[in-house]
Amino acid sequence: MTGQTTAASRGAASRRAGERDRGQFLFSRWHLILIPVAAAMLIPMIWMLVTSVETLNETRHFPPDLLPHTVRLRNYSDVLLHAPFARWFVNTVIVTVVSVAGNLLFCSLAGYAFARIKFFGREVVFVAILATLMIPFQVVMIPTFIIVKDLGMINTLGALIVPNLAGAFGIFLLRQFFRTLPVELEEAARIDGASRLGVLFKIILPLSGPALATLAVITFLWTWNDFLWPLITISSADNMTLQLGLTTFQGTHQTSTNLLMAANVMSVLPVLLLFFLAQRFFIRGIASTGLKG
Amino acid sequence: MADVALRSVTKEFPGGTLALDDLSLDIPDGEFLILVGPSGCGKTTALRLIAGLDKPTSGQISIGGQVVNGVSPRDRDIAMVFQNYALYPHMTVQRNLGFGLKERRTPKREIERRVGEIAAILSLGELMKRRPAQLSGGQRQRVAMGRALVREPKVFLLDEPLSNLDAKLRVQMRAELKRLHQKLGITTVYVTHDQVEAMTLADRIVVMSAGRALQTGPPQVVYSRPANLFVAGFIGSPAMNLLSGRADGSQVVAGQLAFSRAGVPGGDVVVGIRPESLGPASDGRPSLELEVDLVEPLGEVALVHGTVAGAAVQSGAEEEKEILAAPASRAPVTAIFTAADQPAPGDRVRVGVAADRIHLFDLATGAAIR
Amino acid sequence: MRIRRILQSDHLSGWAFAFPAVFLIFVFGIVPVVWSALLSFQHTNLLAPPQWIGTANYRALARDPLFRQSVVHSLVYTALFVPLSVAGGLLVAIALNRRIRGVRFYRTAVFVPVVLSTIATAIMFLWLLDPDFGLVNFLLSKVGLGPYGFFDSASGALYSIVGMTVWGWIGFDVIIYLAALQGIPPSLVEAAEIDGARTWGMFRHITLPLLGPATLFLVVWSSINALQLFDEIYFLTNGGPGTATYVVVYYLFSLAFQQGVAGYAAAIAYVLMIAILSLTVVQLWVGRRLVYYAS
Repeated sequence: MTGQTTAASRGAASRRAGERDRGQFLFSRWHLILIPVAAAMLIPMIWMLVTSVETLNETRHFPPDLLPHTVRLRNYSDVLLHAPFARWFVNTVIVTVVSVAGNLLFCSLAGYAFARIKFFGREVVFVAILATLMIPFQVVMIPTFIIVKDLGMINTLGALIVPNLAGAFGIFLLRQFFRTLPVELEEAARIDGASRLGVLFKIILPLSGPALATLAVITFLWTWNDFLWPLITISSADNMTLQLGLTTFQGTHQTSTNLLMAANVMSVLPVLLLFFLAQRFFIRGIASTGLKG
Repeated sequence: MADVALRSVTKEFPGGTLALDDLSLDIPDGEFLILVGPSGCGKTTALRLIAGLDKPTSGQISIGGQVVNGVSPRDRDIAMVFQNYALYPHMTVQRNLGFGLKERRTPKREIERRVGEIAAILSLGELMKRRPAQLSGGQRQRVAMGRALVREPKVFLLDEPLSNLDAKLRVQMRAELKRLHQKLGITTVYVTHDQVEAMTLADRIVVMSAGRALQTGPPQVVYSRPANLFVAGFIGSPAMNLLSGRADGSQVVAGQLAFSRAGVPGGDVVVGIRPESLGPASDGRPSLELEVDLVEPLGEVALVHGTVAGAAVQSGAEEEKEILAAPASRAPVTAIFTAADQPAPGDRVRVGVAADRIHLFDLATGAAIR
Repeated sequence: MRIRRILQSDHLSGWAFAFPAVFLIFVFGIVPVVWSALLSFQHTNLLAPPQWIGTANYRALARDPLFRQSVVHSLVYTALFVPLSVAGGLLVAIALNRRIRGVRFYRTAVFVPVVLSTIATAIMFLWLLDPDFGLVNFLLSKVGLGPYGFFDSASGALYSIVGMTVWGWIGFDVIIYLAALQGIPPSLVEAAEIDGARTWGMFRHITLPLLGPATLFLVVWSSINALQLFDEIYFLTNGGPGTATYVVVYYLFSLAFQQGVAGYAAAIAYVLMIAILSLTVVQLWVGRRLVYYAS
């Protein structure tokens, strides 16, 4: 060890930033905060899960049973019978996957151009794009609706996909990331004979794994969870996405809470799965919104 | 003002790294002690244990005669200068200096008095309203020292405080530090990997390696009477030449070098000669032939690198392996000539050494043989 | 010759690369912003041709009691949501920034709600806070409180939504704060310890100031999002009971897409945007004076 603190003591110091830790790792007073908070976070989800396997009568029971007497997994298949849930799911998957792919492709191209290529009007256009990040969606949604209507895409998945194929956030994120890569890498590749496109796909993108993963994950999350735009543009049940469909599910089956919960669980599962697999990128993506702030 | 003592201190980190191995040290009140050694030798760990930033796995640490093992850093009445200074970036120099006193509820007038005094000693007067980001490296260093000294601590701890400064500034600050210590007389424990700093600043140095203290003593003593091979190879720049040799009770032979030394048990030994002791051969002195391959001029003197017949020995303090090793039957050796006498690459010159300047070490244990 | 030079030039390749994304953002981002401004000076139901009516929409806004109510509700919501989620996030982040048993479990538990959609969360809480069969009323009855109507009560609906959205968003604040806490150089903390800082002194003089940028960001970000509250209102209360939970975006939505009064809605959208931008500017200005930024 030279003058650098060791990793162990580094951790110790950052803990002391909040308070003097009496060195107890098994049960410290912080558990008094963490346990209730974790419980508050988890109980709603657990309760939803429990309800999703109850029978209808059990849901109408007060006081509610904390553990279900029966585990009615048929609820889950019943959901598919009571509503075009499978359609909703497929629609959402399609819209999300295409949006993610579009963002990755178009934002990489544009991000690279803004990062490395000097072209006429580059600064002005970039500032304009950044400015759109400041604009709340509500200002944009009415005219966008009109545009989409005039293109004949209302009530189709196209309305959901096309406006979201590229976003300012992705351009900003990737441009910032590309700029951190050493310019010498690209210069060496171009001397070796690669075209700009080749440099992007063979040198830059392979080195951009984390940034691309972060963008993919954030775009996935945002698209999967989007509600307002599908609400405005989609009217027929067959073309709805999950979020929109769930709100109508509640309308037609006001009292089948167990089915509604089952449907909710199914709608949430893919996101949770992705979260657990790619936790790092979610967190990095969320934290990176802080950098631009 | 207080003395510091470490008794059989061991520090093991989770994961099994043994940073300190049964270390004992006694530092009398007012002494300037320097812990010196290569990266990973445990010197910074020892410093942090004295500060209370880490706890020893076993052993006792005392300050001013009292055991402080369970005492938190803020209550040990110590002050520390970190390698990267750790100045509070969001506070002005004035607030940085006064922060510790304020946290200890020192009366405002007293804070002003002390801060003013330290600012005068360290020439910080004009910088008081600035933030650390607006200061140069040397200025930040002075503020870091000021923050430590303003508390009039019993013990002053410094963790490689000069390593972030450029070479010229480092030399200047070294002298400043020594003057400060002469003036204020606070017990000081200083950590560095630079043995020149250690030699020039310390009252006593502790050469450390792998968590142990290999030799403790005044710099001059450690230099002229190293207790073992590691210390011999670590202290002194350029490093001591080490050749493998053989003793027979009255004489020692290492390659072409032969000299008499009585009382040495027969067997394999290591012969050590500092480059500064090795110069042009003169009558009556042991000598050997050096085949020169590189000369580094240094103004008044020149470092002459070459090879001699024989085999070299590693001290354990080497930083890097040599890229171009000497041919198997010869050992690399460095001598110092005056600029006027310096040979040229390719020359064969005879170099000699005073017999009492030759160090002997046991090949098996590395311990010095006197 | 010149043609080839232009074709190979950076200008062409730069535009070729940037064009798809820039075009999309232009068509679906920039054009609508300008168009919205125009709409706000028109009277239109999105089907028949629009009529120009000058500033009539804006003048009507100033006199519209439902708009005023919506603004009040939005502001109340924001004034509750922002401090609760930011301060709560800080507290939880400090608690999580330790090496204690199971910390990874607690971290995950706090983060998961952030990835749930507004609707999924709303559905969950709709059931949880059910007046007749909900778990919360059950637990409250055990301590002698309730039952409460939550989303069905005019006085409680907005507060219930505050609680629900804080639940859903606090993990975001925790993530940001955790990253910021871990960015505090340990040597600073150690120096402060040696200097004599005690728990509160350390927090107030070292931790909190160094978290300034994160706090500023979270306050700005949360405010912007809070003022745009919609999904939960649409699904849970439809602005009700009565107009107790009318917020600006809900009013906007209902005007444009349920009542076909798009011009007026566009005017509201513009007012909202200006309000958000103004609030952001004010917060950033205050922030610059109070917050220390590392150079």
